[in-house]
Amino acid sequence: MKYLNRNTWRIGALGATFVVAAAGATLAQEKAVTIGLTSDPSHLYPLAGEELSSNIMYYHLYDALVSRSPELEFGPGLAESWENVDDVTWRFKLREGVTFHNGNAFTAADVVYTVEKARASIRPDLVANVASVKAVDDLTVEITTPKPYAVLPNDLAELLILDEEYTEQTGDEKMDLKPMGTGPYMLKEWIKEEKLVLTAFGDYWGGAPAIQTVTFRPITNPATRTAALLTGEVDVIQDLAVRDVDRVKSEDRFQVITRPSLLNVVLAMDTREKSPTIEGKNPMTDQRVREAIARAIDMDAINKIVMNGLATPSAQFVPEAHLGFVDGMDFREMYPVDIEKAKELLADAGYPDGFTMTLDATNNRYVNDAQIAQALASMLAKINVNLELNIMPKSNFWGYIRVPTENSSLIMSGWDVPSGDAGSMYGALFYSRDKKEGYGQVNRGSYSNAEMDALLDKADSTPDIAKRDEYLQEATKILMADIPMIPMHYEQDVYAARKGVTLVPRVDKFISAFEMDVD
Amino acid sequence: MFGYLLKRLIQMLLVLWVVSVVVFMMMSFTGDPVFMVVPIDATDAEIAQARRILGLDQSLIVQYWKFLTSLLQGDFGHSYVFRQPAMTLILERLPATVEMVLVAMVLAIVFAIPLGVYAGANPNGRLSRAIMSGSLLGISLPGFWVGMVLIYLFAVNWGIFPSSGRGDTAEVFGFRISLVTWDGWHHIVLPAVTLSLGTMAILLRMTRAGMMEVGRQDYMKFARAKGATRRDVLYKHGLKNALIPVVTIFGLQLGDLIAFATITETIFSWPGMGKLLIDSIYRADRPVIVVYLMLVAVIFVVINFLVDLVYTLIDPRITLK
Repeated sequence: MKYLNRNTWRIGALGATFVVAAAGATLAQEKAVTIGLTSDPSHLYPLAGEELSSNIMYYHLYDALVSRSPELEFGPGLAESWENVDDVTWRFKLREGVTFHNGNAFTAADVVYTVEKARASIRPDLVANVASVKAVDDLTVEITTPKPYAVLPNDLAELLILDEEYTEQTGDEKMDLKPMGTGPYMLKEWIKEEKLVLTAFGDYWGGAPAIQTVTFRPITNPATRTAALLTGEVDVIQDLAVRDVDRVKSEDRFQVITRPSLLNVVLAMDTREKSPTIEGKNPMTDQRVREAIARAIDMDAINKIVMNGLATPSAQFVPEAHLGFVDGMDFREMYPVDIEKAKELLADAGYPDGFTMTLDATNNRYVNDAQIAQALASMLAKINVNLELNIMPKSNFWGYIRVPTENSSLIMSGWDVPSGDAGSMYGALFYSRDKKEGYGQVNRGSYSNAEMDALLDKADSTPDIAKRDEYLQEATKILMADIPMIPMHYEQDVYAARKGVTLVPRVDKFISAFEMDVD
Repeated sequence: MFGYLLKRLIQMLLVLWVVSVVVFMMMSFTGDPVFMVVPIDATDAEIAQARRILGLDQSLIVQYWKFLTSLLQGDFGHSYVFRQPAMTLILERLPATVEMVLVAMVLAIVFAIPLGVYAGANPNGRLSRAIMSGSLLGISLPGFWVGMVLIYLFAVNWGIFPSSGRGDTAEVFGFRISLVTWDGWHHIVLPAVTLSLGTMAILLRMTRAGMMEVGRQDYMKFARAKGATRRDVLYKHGLKNALIPVVTIFGLQLGDLIAFATITETIFSWPGMGKLLIDSIYRADRPVIVVYLMLVAVIFVVINFLVDLVYTLIDPRITLK
């Protein structure tokens, strides 16, 4: 704390110092860390809802069959290994000797139970690609998919396993307050909006984590979060405000840790003949018009001016190392900013005078989203594409832009693919609508391309992951040429911590105390 | 008196009913809660399932009717987001807000009344003018700015007080209270001061205006002439008569602070119910917002009733009918 190294302390501070020093002495052997989060979790029950703070807690308390590294590599979790029995059947060998925090043994029955439980919950999407599940014996589970699906294990990394006996006894509502998993940490105390304390689970199958006690504190206001770090009340904070980066860096006691996130901010263009906010025929049915729009948007300028350099212009629709990413292909290089060329393209397409439409965007979902929308409007004005801004909070936004898109021509939103696979995203965003159940459900631009559909069908019916990657790469190339959507930038995650804290920033934004250490 | 109570009770029920209708109907325009709980690429079937689980598949009228009938059975509905009883969520956070508001109000009174009396009795003194300028600042500086400045000075720079949070609490009658621990007091000072400044300034100015008004009355001069001390004249004769409007404003301010301590709570990460309201509005969590506003309505009605009672104590000529 700051007053420890100051001579000018006050009487009150002196008292506090003794308390702190005494506490420090008794805990000398125990490693503890306090983390300032942007919000309190809503849930500790993984089937009750998803949002970042809750997700962070889920992965401390529970485990999935498949684990996910900070770099999004998938590996053994509660399942030690898995193999394909046939094209649609997977056999998972479960880890032996794993217990839940209450001492119950983890068995195949718990997996079966969790799958069925998820299906009836508010999160059936977690098991959307599971047709059936059965326990072969206590430590073997067989899962079938409706069709060959090479990336099933990636999906299962999000399905956190519940203890059947305990969950049934406790009931869904109480599971939020009394979670029970096999994870590296157990819940010690949760005082809502105040603090959530976890203690290490000594019998964790992966070995006890280095840090014994983790305290999460919700500090919504970014300036207060910075202050709490500066005063030593917390060791680590999430989402350091952009304007505070220099202040924190200026002191030796602290470190700033950044990494590009998975969240790709994108601009979806309507490709229907008739678009809700455009008079007459929709110009964006023409690829040349879409290319003109892409060429008018200067992502480097947005990054520099609006995002203070804390964004990474996106090369494609999914990040590098994802299935479907084509090495060496960059949207910015294919369509560099060129106003003259853009105007030519528009004229060629028959719109020398441009046109007018509405841009729908949020003001509380993405970093500086409303400012980005304003920047887009002024950039597109240069090629006479006039944007009327329609900006709203996210609670209205998702309903407003819902498919079938009755209100929108141009939508700014964001996408991330925590499964490390472009397939689910492409299937949802670019598959022709109403053609196949579970596909094209968020195809807000009503993009339709038979070649694309066929490639996604092929990708989704091969059990061979290398083949899947090939098909998805083909799909990426089509999208990059056809431009139904403009990839803009990945947001950057910014953390700050006191020196001596080792924090591994995860690509999925989860803060994980079990991958952390303090000196 | 009994008739008066009955009248107030009926009034209160009417107010609550109107609040529930208005809020319920208004909230249906402010976003669809189902999109706040399903993943962004959810299929229609998944959205429909979530809607059914949350009970949002019914028409608004049916939803309201269900809400009202369960309300009469003492069930205030479940939060869509937290899936917990809305009333529990609010009551969990109520003590934190109440204790912060109480400390702020006590601070406000302790400083505002004597300073106001002084400034009213000596309207042209240099100190009075300083007090009045100070009170103008108190009224015009926005709470979030004051909060940030206090954090910067007292927490970051001098390390006297913590920047955020509520500190240690102890259980009293089943409620978690921080005012019984030293650490709790340590934490409450900055937020309470921030919250109290505006109210302090208003009470101070009301007191001063009242004192200046009664200062011109004959009975004040008379009291002084008959030999009462200046202090007695000011506080016993003057203040009592100047106090009626101050009490009215005090009541309104108290309700205001409880209901809308939101900004202070957000800045200091104080785990009160104001933050819950803001989060709920963001997430279109209708049941929580409705119950919250109904609770606030109750608080306002009760405070106004108490204010009326206080009138009769201060001025025996006022009776409740």
